[in-house]
Amino acid sequence: MLPRRFLTFSLLVPTLLVFATAALASTAGGGVERMMIVFFISLTAVAGMGLYSGNSGILSFGHLSFMGLAAYASAVLTLPLQMKKLTLPNLPAFLADAHFDFLPAMILAVLFAMAVALLTGLIISRLEGSAATIATLALLIIVHGVIIGARDITRGSQSFFGVPRETGIWVAATVCIIALVVTRLFRDSVPGLRLRASREDPIAAGASGIGIKRERLLAWVLSAGLVALAGVALGHFLGAFSPKKFYFVDTFALLAMLIVGGMTTMTGAVVGAVTITVVTEVLRRLEGGVQLLGIQLPEVFGLTQIGIGLIILLVMFKQREGLAGIDEWDERILPRLLKFNSNAGQINTSVLEPTRSAGTLKADSLTKRFSGLVAVDQVSVSLRPGEILGLIGPNGSGKTTLLNMISGVLPVSSGGVRLGEKIISGLPVHRFSGLGIARTFQNIRLFERLSVRQNVLAAALSNWPREPVSQAQARATAALDWMELTDKAQLKADTLSYGDQRRVEIARALALGPNYLFLDEPAAGMNREETDALMQILRRLRDELGLGILIVDHDLPLIVSLCDRVTVLNEGQLIAEGTPEEVQSDPAVITAYLGRKHREENVA
Amino acid sequence: MHRFLNSLLIGTAMTAALAAGAAAADKITIGVATAQTGGLAPYDGPVVEGFRIAVDEINAAGGIGGKIMIETIDKDVRSDAAQTSIATQELVDADVNVLVLPCDADPAFAAASIADAAKIPAFSTCASSPTLPIMGGDYMFANFPGDNVQATVSAQWSHDQGHRSVYLLYSPDSQYTTLPLYFGDVFEKLGGTISGKATYKLEQQDFSAEVTKIKALKPQPDVIMTAAYEPNFPAFIKQLRAAGVTSQVIGSDGIDSPTTFSLGEVAEGVVFTTAGHATPGSELEKFNSLFKEKTGKDSETVFNAIGYDLVKVIAAAVEGAGSTDPTAIRDAIAGLENVQGATSLITYKGTQGMPVREVSLVRVKGGDRELVGQPAPNADLIPAPRMQ
Repeated sequence: MLPRRFLTFSLLVPTLLVFATAALASTAGGGVERMMIVFFISLTAVAGMGLYSGNSGILSFGHLSFMGLAAYASAVLTLPLQMKKLTLPNLPAFLADAHFDFLPAMILAVLFAMAVALLTGLIISRLEGSAATIATLALLIIVHGVIIGARDITRGSQSFFGVPRETGIWVAATVCIIALVVTRLFRDSVPGLRLRASREDPIAAGASGIGIKRERLLAWVLSAGLVALAGVALGHFLGAFSPKKFYFVDTFALLAMLIVGGMTTMTGAVVGAVTITVVTEVLRRLEGGVQLLGIQLPEVFGLTQIGIGLIILLVMFKQREGLAGIDEWDERILPRLLKFNSNAGQINTSVLEPTRSAGTLKADSLTKRFSGLVAVDQVSVSLRPGEILGLIGPNGSGKTTLLNMISGVLPVSSGGVRLGEKIISGLPVHRFSGLGIARTFQNIRLFERLSVRQNVLAAALSNWPREPVSQAQARATAALDWMELTDKAQLKADTLSYGDQRRVEIARALALGPNYLFLDEPAAGMNREETDALMQILRRLRDELGLGILIVDHDLPLIVSLCDRVTVLNEGQLIAEGTPEEVQSDPAVITAYLGRKHREENVA
Repeated sequence: MHRFLNSLLIGTAMTAALAAGAAAADKITIGVATAQTGGLAPYDGPVVEGFRIAVDEINAAGGIGGKIMIETIDKDVRSDAAQTSIATQELVDADVNVLVLPCDADPAFAAASIADAAKIPAFSTCASSPTLPIMGGDYMFANFPGDNVQATVSAQWSHDQGHRSVYLLYSPDSQYTTLPLYFGDVFEKLGGTISGKATYKLEQQDFSAEVTKIKALKPQPDVIMTAAYEPNFPAFIKQLRAAGVTSQVIGSDGIDSPTTFSLGEVAEGVVFTTAGHATPGSELEKFNSLFKEKTGKDSETVFNAIGYDLVKVIAAAVEGAGSTDPTAIRDAIAGLENVQGATSLITYKGTQGMPVREVSLVRVKGGDRELVGQPAPNADLIPAPRMQ
């Protein structure tokens, strides 16, 4: 999705850097070369872990299990047959006679780890936040136990030795480059952007058509593959290992790199691995007690651990996102150097298409109970394309709950929602956008750490049926244009003013190409000028695109002048329905709602 | 002098100077890449303590044979195999004459190939797996009584006591905990019978299934042999005695810890093998008082003496080789016979790198240790190392 010239630079620079470092290390030889091999392998693993944890926002303790599985799987395949007979006499027949070269063994082992990741991911991708993290921890413990238990294949807790030492500096460098390139590409790929959007706000991501579980699963499997690559390389570097090599101690060592560098970017993986490695190398030379400026320092083993601990603390205090922050190096530097057209994909600035003939949206006797409390009680509303329906009522009258049910965010307790002849209540939330229903949220739910354009693009790319990327980009551009956000497209969403954030939410909804648009208090936080401009846009959306708009707001002047029809809720029940004028004069409404807000009535 | 020479600022220059010094043959450099932090530190730490005492003692007397001073370069490998491999390579780059590697087989294996390629003799501080020196190459040596040797000593003793049937409790989870299988081999060779075997998992706490099996045996086995240690052993022995089984229990050096002596009545009479026992007038007693004198504290583990032994072995090899050339030292080690260490006489001649050392048999009595004997193992009885 990035311009080719941008991508070339962002991938070529790390590739050349790794190769140059490898060449230097190989010239230096000896301990330096070995140190760099370990560094490249660690960086491979860190980048792989970051691909999942960084983009999904779910910290994983479980990735070392894929490293271990791949190390064992590849080692069983590359172990010389004679050694195998000697050390693994009870190996199943199909493995006992199998011998592969390093490369095919590596590929098979990575595929094996990815297959295991697919199975475990089916469960883990369903869990949220800390539950998912704990599940990854369980995975680490279970796989550790399984490796020990599979004694005939793994020699249990004992040393698995005799593995050919195939990993030299060039193998390590190549593996590392693969990991860096895949990680960088994934971040700005379509699934990468969708996953990052769901990291920022799972609810808004769902409402934007993103199937979060699928995106998480994909990243989980892919990252397991990269970490597995590191495992194969490590196994064939050490030549001997046991299950404890792929357990807590190493998990925390790699997580330290990930956290210090910043887990959301490839840059962070590199910065973290470099920082921790440099600090370790400096401190471990000091621990033996050195002569420094004529002073004999005492011998203090354990200095490296103390140092790493302090860095993590410092980073957590001063820069929670890690030393590299949340942007890639190329995102900071290249736009300035290369003067890219920031609105790439603006080739055909198609306007948003007018609404295709859509059936009426009907909610029949919707009820929502929250353990005893009836928030919405048998409310029926309908919305046609080309009309603006206002939904008003005092605080706590059930407006947002009703909206959440019609948009699929909340399951209904009873009643149903139909679109034309089709019953749509009960479908998963990310399917609603495909039905032409898009929405905004009362308490703004933007993908905060993504740019305005990425916010809108994430939705455009998740529309159903799926379309070519160029078409989605064009629609995102058009949506930004509609909401007059084009000049703010490159800004991070969380840096915008309140009013602008509301407009980004609407642009994001528009990018889904909806027939129906639900707006929950879109004018809250806007001044009168901004509100008027918004009303202007909403009228055009109705008139030019034929959208059916359902709007919840407390701003009565806005409701009265904008809406074709108004529905009034009170204490979860529908108490009036009609034109703004009819509703305003309805005695029930006056008592329940306008009566208590008499001043506002006068203004209206 | 165990000064850390490889400083960040002056590393290269000093390394070169060091190499030049080693070549002058009035000095031998030992590269000590051991785990001073992490999971292996409880073993490598004490070994290196004893190691330093021996180095200081020899240097104070003018060096090996009165002329060759010992220099050491210390590196902490943090109980990690990859770090061991890096540190070992750095020591090889610094032209050390002898390498000392961690206690565990993983890091030792990772470094063994580097030592082998550089043709520098290497010792694991205290690994007891007889596979290590065999699979680690010609330059890899161990410094601890092998599991098979320990088992030979205890099996022979048991047979001498008139025991004729044994029950083996072992765990295939680690090489060490399969030691009872060696015991079984020797015991059968001597004419005894194995009345049963049971396995357990490391960390297992509930031994009721195993104990029930033993309890049901008719007749009861004369002896129960296990290499279980904490937390398995205390749990097992308590449950065994609670079930009323009175057979002799034989253990191995894994239970030579204060815990065993604090178990009370249930552990009474348990006999186990260990690397050494300080009888009055013994070398170990002498070492213990030297240790107290140098460090101001009591030696709490036999691993201190094991470290001391290692330097004695290296010194004897250097003296025997008459040279500090690593290959000459390697050949000299392989021919060493009856080197007097703190724990025992040590012999490498005729072995594949696993030293023949005396093994002490100790009985738990009244919460204290009682020496049963220090028999030399019968070489013909020692079973061949098992690869799996």
